[in-house]
Amino acid sequence: MAELTINGSRKELDADTLADVVELLGLGGRPVVAEVNGEVVASEKWAETQVESGMKIELVHFVGGG
Amino acid sequence: MTEQEDRYSRQVLFAPIGDEGQSKLANGAVCIVGMGALGTVLASHMVRAGVGRVRLIDRDYVESSNLQRQMLYDEDDAAQSLPKVVASENKLKKINSDVTLEKVFADVTPGNAESLLKGMDLVLDGTDNFQTRFLLNDACYSAGIPFIYGGAVGSRGMSAVFVPGSTPCLRCLIPSADSGGETCDTVGVISPVVDIVASYQSVEALKWLVGDRESRRETLLSFDVWNNRLHELKPVPAKPDCPCCGLKTYPALRREEETLLSLCGRESIQIAGHAPFDLAIWAEKLAPATRTVKANPYLIRAELAEGGRLVLFEDGRVLVQGTDDPVRARSLYARYIGN
Ligand SMILES: [Zn+2]
Repeated sequence: MAELTINGSRKELDADTLADVVELLGLGGRPVVAEVNGEVVASEKWAETQVESGMKIELVHFVGGG
Repeated sequence: MTEQEDRYSRQVLFAPIGDEGQSKLANGAVCIVGMGALGTVLASHMVRAGVGRVRLIDRDYVESSNLQRQMLYDEDDAAQSLPKVVASENKLKKINSDVTLEKVFADVTPGNAESLLKGMDLVLDGTDNFQTRFLLNDACYSAGIPFIYGGAVGSRGMSAVFVPGSTPCLRCLIPSADSGGETCDTVGVISPVVDIVASYQSVEALKWLVGDRESRRETLLSFDVWNNRLHELKPVPAKPDCPCCGLKTYPALRREEETLLSLCGRESIQIAGHAPFDLAIWAEKLAPATRTVKANPYLIRAELAEGGRLVLFEDGRVLVQGTDDPVRARSLYARYIGN
């Protein structure tokens, strides 16, 4: 279990990588930009980016309405 | 003080604009694509600020479900099913008669995007889908015109400024045009968030038009006004293999014209490709099969006796409403319009 701060809220997730986090939050395949501790991580690197407790993750889900 | 000086006095007093900025605005040309919630706020700001030329592009007509947030329209516009660009022009010319308004009642497509954006200093995003945004992104980067993205859904909003030759493009941030099913028609939207997004876009438009490059927002702004969050994403590096700003192949401009387009979540399917309609003749043709036919100079709305509705536009487009099923839409089209 990793205790993460995701978009400002604390969450405990059974996730090893950033790809797991995106998947667990139901954002897989969606237009999302991920930032870990203030640095943007390209989607090609999500699967190899390990997550650990205490990380601050921002998932910016692009909105298309208007 | 002339009436003209008086009109813009508060804006001219604002030092970063001043007299010089005001005359630059008067010489500016801005294109707003999509005249829904974002577009109506964008247009209001641009026209009130005295931008010289404002081009309004939209394919749709006013319906009562628009009135909650599309601030230039009223109940009469919806009752008459007026095209949004026509209703907008009616309001905007009363707000500032000095501005040259150019209304375009059409879809932006790979075939017409480049000519529709020609001569514009800026393109403002008022669209409601990523497919059109990718098309505008590619058309803007190909033509060297800055593109100011805005989007909203629920209580969330985003905005960013994309400048060819200077910033990465929309494709560098998100790879595909799939919105993941969250749209204003599935999860709704509240009016204040769209106003806020369009106002952020408008500020960036004013900065650009008066030439204040240093003040340009470089971050991608994202917020949730209901849950009290605001986040700024630092600029990401451009992708060297981005098909738009890296490889410069602009795929959306090369896309085959699609004749069938589902208007997301609205039980509406648009079928393009017919020759322009003579609306008077078609109103008569459709009368026997329909419960009611409503017409104005721009479109016909025919309520079919068997259920569903056809909306025929002068430019040859047809909306099949009351279904999300392309097969059913094709079959109604074939039955009443032909092939
Ligand atoms: Zn790019």
